[in-house]
Amino acid sequence: MGIADLLAALEASSIATTIRESLYLFPFIEAAHVIGLTMVFGTIAIVDLRLLGLASARRPFSRIASDVMRWTWAAFALTALTGLLMFSTNAAVYYHNLFFRAKMAMLACAGINILIFGRTVGRSIQQWDRDVAAPRALLQHGRAARGWRRGRRRP
Amino acid sequence: MLPLIEWLSQTPLSLAIQTREWVVPTIQSVHIVAIGVVVASVFMIDLRVLGWAGRDQTLVETVDRFGPWLSWALGVLLVTGALMVIGEPARELLSFSFWLKMTLVALGTVIAAAFQIALRRNQQRWEESLIERRATKSLAIVTLLIWAGIIVLGRLIAYDHIWGAWSLAPKA
Repeated sequence: MGIADLLAALEASSIATTIRESLYLFPFIEAAHVIGLTMVFGTIAIVDLRLLGLASARRPFSRIASDVMRWTWAAFALTALTGLLMFSTNAAVYYHNLFFRAKMAMLACAGINILIFGRTVGRSIQQWDRDVAAPRALLQHGRAARGWRRGRRRP
Repeated sequence: MLPLIEWLSQTPLSLAIQTREWVVPTIQSVHIVAIGVVVASVFMIDLRVLGWAGRDQTLVETVDRFGPWLSWALGVLLVTGALMVIGEPARELLSFSFWLKMTLVALGTVIAAAFQIALRRNQQRWEESLIERRATKSLAIVTLLIWAGIIVLGRLIAYDHIWGAWSLAPKA
């Protein structure tokens, strides 16, 4: 089954058909999508501004992360679910849309970013939790990573 | 309303926006980023009032942290929103969702401003007792619902036909 068949099957699914035929479903799903994505963006901004030391700099990073991140994930779940539902109603058109593809590529970058954070500086939070800005830890990590790469390249 | 729409759509600024395809989507994107800042700021303040987040900080500290972002982002929303009305006056001004949204925006802004003023006047009482009142906690939830409603109505401007006879848009 090629991608075209998959997209066609998605469009023909009963849930996609129900949404397409309803006057209200698509607008309200889209509205929920916007609520979700504004929450994702706003809460990530809070965490990132703290990481940069630009806001809430005197609060430990872990405290802010535990306050905020669960709402980020809840909002992301809402956004992803509503996004998938909207995609299903017109899958082939979205799939070939350049902006849609660029958006998915950036979402993938965001995911990779989280993975890298979790596997690197995220592991040493205790050491920089109370620092005004994380860059010192990020820099240390950067040096360590460069050293690691140099080490690997040595025969 | 129609003469106003007619006049607005002929202003140089409106014509400039109408004739460039990229302007409205760009303004809309800035508008959505700004509503993200507003929603997250209101959300964090309300979570603090409800006692669900930020309990290591006082209410005043929380409002000091998020209040300025709320004000700035509201300003950006006002400017980008006004530009969209100027660029597409019929789409906005003939939409039932738009006027309902503006009502909620006024309500949400008044509540935010009144709360900040009341908090500054009587910081200690707010921290010690007022925050524990059921009315305060209810107001926090109502405020969240108002901003969620604003987002929903903002999106529904594009689908004003769902209001049926209430929609002000010319019937096709």
